[in-house]
Amino acid sequence: MEEYVGELWHKLVTRAADKEHEDAVVRLDEISKTAAIFFRALGGDAGLNLSASPATRHGARRRWMQRLATTGDRVELSWRDGETLRLPEHIGLFSERSLNRDLYLWLVALSAADVDENLPWIIRNQAATQLTLERFAGLVPRYNRLLEATLALRPLPEKLPTAEAAQENSIRQALQNPGSVDVLPYSKTPFHPVALWSHPAPPINANANVTTNNGAPETVSPDKPDAAKSRRKHAAERTDMPDGKDGFLMMFRAESLFSWTEYIKVNRPQDEEDDLESAAQAAEDMDNMTVARDSETSAAKLRFDLDLPPAGEDDAPLGEGVSLPEWDYKKQLLQPDYCRLQEVVAQQTEACELPAQLRRTAKRLRSQFQALAPARTWLKGQQEGEDIDLDAWVRQEADLLSGTHPDNRGVYRAQVNQQRDLACLLLADLSLSTDAYASDNARVIDVIRDSLFLFSEALSATGDRFAMYGFSSLKRSNVRFNHLKTFDERYDTNVRGRIQAIKPGYYTRMGAAIRHASTLLAAQPQRQRLLLLLTDGKPNDLDRYEGRYGIEDTRMALHEARQLGLRPFCVTIDIEANEYLPHLFGAGGFAVIRKPEDLPKELPLLYAQMTR
Amino acid sequence: MENHPFYQAQGSEIELFERAWRNRLPLLIKGPTGCGKTRFVAHMAAKLNLPLYTVACHDDLTAADLVGRHLILDGQTVWSDGPLTRAVREGGICYLDEVVEARKDTTVVLHPLADDRRILPIDRTGEQLVAPASFMLVVSYNPGYQNFLKGMKPSTRQRFISLAFDFPPAKQEEAILVGETGIDEMTAKRLVSIANAFRALRDHDLEEVASTRLLVYAATLIKDGCDPTLACRSALVETLTDDPETAVALREVIDATFGR
Ligand SMILES: Nc1ncnc2c1ncn2[C@@H]1O[C@H](COP(=O)(O)OP(=O)(O)OP(=O)(O)O)[C@@H](O)[C@H]1O
Ligand SMILES: [Mg+2]
Repeated sequence: MEEYVGELWHKLVTRAADKEHEDAVVRLDEISKTAAIFFRALGGDAGLNLSASPATRHGARRRWMQRLATTGDRVELSWRDGETLRLPEHIGLFSERSLNRDLYLWLVALSAADVDENLPWIIRNQAATQLTLERFAGLVPRYNRLLEATLALRPLPEKLPTAEAAQENSIRQALQNPGSVDVLPYSKTPFHPVALWSHPAPPINANANVTTNNGAPETVSPDKPDAAKSRRKHAAERTDMPDGKDGFLMMFRAESLFSWTEYIKVNRPQDEEDDLESAAQAAEDMDNMTVARDSETSAAKLRFDLDLPPAGEDDAPLGEGVSLPEWDYKKQLLQPDYCRLQEVVAQQTEACELPAQLRRTAKRLRSQFQALAPARTWLKGQQEGEDIDLDAWVRQEADLLSGTHPDNRGVYRAQVNQQRDLACLLLADLSLSTDAYASDNARVIDVIRDSLFLFSEALSATGDRFAMYGFSSLKRSNVRFNHLKTFDERYDTNVRGRIQAIKPGYYTRMGAAIRHASTLLAAQPQRQRLLLLLTDGKPNDLDRYEGRYGIEDTRMALHEARQLGLRPFCVTIDIEANEYLPHLFGAGGFAVIRKPEDLPKELPLLYAQMTR
Repeated sequence: MENHPFYQAQGSEIELFERAWRNRLPLLIKGPTGCGKTRFVAHMAAKLNLPLYTVACHDDLTAADLVGRHLILDGQTVWSDGPLTRAVREGGICYLDEVVEARKDTTVVLHPLADDRRILPIDRTGEQLVAPASFMLVVSYNPGYQNFLKGMKPSTRQRFISLAFDFPPAKQEEAILVGETGIDEMTAKRLVSIANAFRALRDHDLEEVASTRLLVYAATLIKDGCDPTLACRSALVETLTDDPETAVALREVIDATFGR
């Protein structure tokens, strides 16, 4: 049914080819950027993506989610249906182009309004309308224009059978006088979809059984979401209408919807030993999660096989490996030689050029970053130079006249290249969670790869010294430190080849990786040394390295880094980062990138801002 | 007495400033650009009836720029006090704006002044000034990524008590606009709502956020008879972004507020 309703909505909004006003059509592509910023400016959740999708996809997705919901609590797929704001791919409902555009913006404004999503559809939409018009009174004239045009397209109540007419009248009233309709009258036939209202309900969650009492206020579902769950702001809590009786359908849920992104968390018992069994269990859990993202396209496969040797087949060890300590906060003790870290380098990588899709951005970044490159500046008080330092000369003369000893500071100005006295080590989290999808078409690892590329492009334009490493771990004896670029290497096709070859690894033993990175960075002679950590989540590993333990060890490692005179800074795409990063990096010591796909672009800019 | 520069208090900062001054404690004010730091200091100086010496710090600023230097006049040397020295002699306020921009070896001259010694040794003249009770040192800076690596030496920073400023709550910001420019309350309300919509884009679409200062500019233009939409476009949109698409979205927010 949903698909049916979806199509209905799709047809309505897009006016199914024949009736559509072809020359007045506005496409989402044309205004998507405007719409997204508009949405955020009006208070919409900045973490949402905006995109269009064909109506029929949702059925598939719903089935997928139902299947997932049955995998039980061992694997918590904490997907947020609030990942994306879906809008019609194009709107040609009205004959005037500007009205079609306004409808887009209106739908965006409406979705930004903060109304209780548990309210019945008709009440919720009226409330959102009221709120939006109140907050942005300047939208009133536009709303009125849209309303007039919309009403003209709706069926006339006079021409409808009684029940439907009553329903139609209520909808009209609700549109004209938002807030005045409490209940939608019952009718057997579905009503004509309402173009001015959106349906922010996410696809169905098989667990939640929220019924819609034909527009009457709903009772809150008994199983109150716990704190962690309620953070998923747009949790799906709606089901199909009970068959047959529903006077109005659950409304079109077609395009104007939220999609999701899957997040993987492997739940393990808290006090777990270093035993293989639980590791195997974890692997099994992961296997259960090998899911297709949607049935039409090829899928994101999250596969994790513990039989694989810890070093990926094509990673060769570099050197001996390093023993590193780890902090046990319970014992308040640094356990010496507790971890084994191995530097590895990908084998059989092919030297490569910058991927084509990044070239334009790279070019722009390079020219922006050249501005940061060593500038020619004047040094004062030099023994020799191109110009006289008037200040110094006056001071010297004055000192002579007043009888104080002149300091022999030199009275010339000289022009030199002022070095940026800066070294930066970028440490990228390559744990398994980076295999998750960050957006509709890129995994976190892809985003990280692009970020590494663009970061290198930008930094090589400044001439700053930089190194790049990746890390992941599989218990304390197996911390892998992927060599991408050392400080001494040039950023060349070989380095690019290594970046191209990065793959999601296992877990995230941050402390050990930070300690080793700190050692490398501390050996650099520069005055300012920046340790930049790029991550998507909390520290964690199989052997007790999670929760407080992992956090406290990481915190200790960062503390050690600061003691060495390094400045750690973290860039993350974990939107829950605010819960633990302040503890690790301090309030000003990290940045959360809300939209992962912006990371490649944001990272160099952040760097520029920090080092300007 | 009512000639003080207008300042709309946000919280208890006035009281705190007065306490700091009475107890001879130096003060650090941090907050984003255009949120009223400079205005606050000007207001307090007037209120306490003290001369105010302001120095905008930059990385070329030398200790001599603060303390003073010898000049040559008619073959004679003349000592000329820098702003810091003058403030100490007169028992006024010395305000160092954007103090993190100054090199750390420059800010070190503040140390003996900013602790309980309250002295300013002047090497070149051999003088050592003792700051009178009414002298106060105030510094400000703008925290953010931009200053992540600059920071202040802990030994400098820990000589100050600190006040954090941010953009005021809507009601107060409206009062500032009305107080500064005399525009009507409705317009003030709308301007502040636009600013807050833009501020929601901080760190995402906009690198900088709309400051109170820019709102004052927009209000000034409107008060002068400028069309509000045009005023907002030039005072806010075009100042905050060069990206055409972002600008379109920001204009939509303005239209959603002032109507179209
Ligand atoms: N609380 C306030 N009361 C009155 N006016 C204010 C207030 N806050 C801001 N303003 C207005 O904003 C303008 C900018 O404020 P001010 O110059 O004090 O900013 P600032 O914090 O010193 O900024 P910057 O860091 O860029 O120097 C002032 O000229 C004044 O018009
Ligand atoms: Mg100022």
